Amino acid sequence: MPLLTQQIQDEEDDQYSLVASLDNVRNLSTILKAIHFREHATCFATKNGIKVTVENAKCVQANAFIQAGIFQEFKVQEESVTFRINLTVLLDCLSIFGSSPMPGTLTALRMCYQGYGYPLMLFLEEGGVVTVCKINTQEPEETLDFDFCSTNVINKIILQSEGLREAFSELDMTSEVLQITMSPDKPYFRLSTFGNAGSSHLDYPKDSDLMEAFHCNQTQVNRYKISLLKPSTKALVLSCKVSIRTDNRGFLSLQYMIRNEDGQICFVEYYCCPDEEVPESES
Amino acid sequence: MAAMLKCVMSGSQVKVFGKAVQALSRISDELWLDPSKKGLALRCVNSSRSAYGCVLFSPVFFQHYQWSALVKMNENELDPTLNLKCKLGMKSILPIFRCLNSLERNIEKCQIFTRSDKCKVVIQFFYRHGIKRTHNICFQESQPLQVIFDKNVCTNTLMIQPRLLADAIVLFTSSQEEVTLAVTPLNFCLKSSNEESMDLSNAVYSEMFVGSDEFDFFQIGMDTEITFCFKELKGILTFSEATHAPISIYFDFPGKPLALSIDDMLVEANFILATLAEEPSRASSPQSLCLSQKRKRSDLIEKKAGKNVTGQALECISRKAAPRKLYPKKTLTNISALENCGSPAMKRADGDVSEVSESSVSNTEEVPGSLCLRKFSCIFFGAVSSDQQEHFNHPFDSLAKASDSEEDMNNVCCIKEFNGSGTKYFCII
Repeated sequence: MPLLTQQIQDEEDDQYSLVASLDNVRNLSTILKAIHFREHATCFATKNGIKVTVENAKCVQANAFIQAGIFQEFKVQEESVTFRINLTVLLDCLSIFGSSPMPGTLTALRMCYQGYGYPLMLFLEEGGVVTVCKINTQEPEETLDFDFCSTNVINKIILQSEGLREAFSELDMTSEVLQITMSPDKPYFRLSTFGNAGSSHLDYPKDSDLMEAFHCNQTQVNRYKISLLKPSTKALVLSCKVSIRTDNRGFLSLQYMIRNEDGQICFVEYYCCPDEEVPESES
Repeated sequence: MAAMLKCVMSGSQVKVFGKAVQALSRISDELWLDPSKKGLALRCVNSSRSAYGCVLFSPVFFQHYQWSALVKMNENELDPTLNLKCKLGMKSILPIFRCLNSLERNIEKCQIFTRSDKCKVVIQFFYRHGIKRTHNICFQESQPLQVIFDKNVCTNTLMIQPRLLADAIVLFTSSQEEVTLAVTPLNFCLKSSNEESMDLSNAVYSEMFVGSDEFDFFQIGMDTEITFCFKELKGILTFSEATHAPISIYFDFPGKPLALSIDDMLVEANFILATLAEEPSRASSPQSLCLSQKRKRSDLIEKKAGKNVTGQALECISRKAAPRKLYPKKTLTNISALENCGSPAMKRADGDVSEVSESSVSNTEEVPGSLCLRKFSCIFFGAVSSDQQEHFNHPFDSLAKASDSEEDMNNVCCIKEFNGSGTKYFCII
């Protein structure tokens, strides 16, 4: 932090509704990249931390949770602070010193937001060089409520992410849908696509080493638009574990556990609603 | 019992298999799986019939190999066996074998089998941790083609380690479409095609010389300069990386096909490429050496809009059965099938059995990129495996019909057949 601003910082802090500082900006930028599949995001800050939400087509929603503990300093003056921001610009600013820094050098961040109508201020410092960014904030939009309640969950699987990584990177994108079968009986957990290359099924036995938990109560076969699910690959590649849940309406929740460079755990969550046509029982 | 195929491979074998698919994808967008007692052959022919590729995996290449031909119930039939007729879209199979390094690393076993009842090929990968990936690909029932060309009678034969050739071709720009191979008894030179270098937009002209001592085998009958398409050469070189076997080049004179071969214990690959014919004014060159003495040349059926028929090029394709769609909307009569069988050169190799008028052929072939094929001589094709005997008696009619339009009566028809026991040639003059 530059010396000049140091002295007046405490007085200034009072005028901000949100102040957060971080020694390693990558702990924030990495997790935001995991949900960066649309231009704009809505940010909600409470005393617990920041939730950043990105939505597409009223069918898919991604939430990144950066809890207060990740930050070295985190102050929220109001009950909650909400604004919409251009995520692409935010990420560009966060990596203004380069996205893959030299080993041993960290970019520090101080982030301030004065309130409705004000820009989001970013102070980035690396090696004594400070960059100040002001990003205009926008009117927050109402986000979707998927009403995904754990009491309605029918099937739940926790997998080590490496088991899904290849599956998602090799998804047959000529298929319009990804069909997910979860069942207490064979094939237990199956990902299917139906594209130019014919149909393709990926089966995971429930006793696989990669399967950390398998709680399936009844057979569910649901289809999801592959174009909506594909962006979750970004979160998948960063994560170490993924929890896959479906509720009684066929809604899908994918929760990714991401370990940052300091070993702290963050979560990214994707919700997706199913395609309406219920598929025939295809094998 | 229906014709079937079943084979099992390990991860490293899948890599070789996948490389073969990748190499063949440079030739055509369709691929035949042709199992026989000699092994599993992957074949393809490009749409202008100027390039052909075949990779034969011997039965011992696989961990397990099993095949059978269709056995007809009616014992009165002359021909009791019918091989699997399985043509796959490259678009379907290529993506499956895209990431070969990760496949090799991650899979424990790969299994390929057919379900003829459903016209499906099933490719299964068994990964670690018990994960299984299954691909179901629909195939089209279509008789595989085979090129009729005996590389062993070529006057020029070279054998070289693929690495040397691969290092050399990186010199060429990616836009290079044709290359010229010039040989003398002492020297080997691969260079940008003369014709292409005329084009001012393509400013790079490369020449690469390899001394004869670099070759494992170097036999040049006469000084020769031939031009052929570059991408198939790149294709077979990609494949040779997987086998590490030396690559052989067989050729004669301009206009006669060139063969690129890899002869390994377990895998045999042959890519036959048409070469650019010389100008008609020099047509007296001895171009038909490779054919038996009885045969004469028929003019190229392929006719381009506004261009004369390329002299001295030859094309003769015979198919004993018309390719059929998976579920044909109408049953073909024998006659229509036969009409089709005489003129497959006049349509794209998409298995479409409708008749194509010549003018429309000219249009479809007048696509950018295929211009270089204008003077490429074509290659003989025959159907692989046998079919109903009656077809043999008729193809002349249709062929004559095709050539009548060229006002040339020197028609040649070759049908190569092997039904497991041997090879027969049928020549008609």
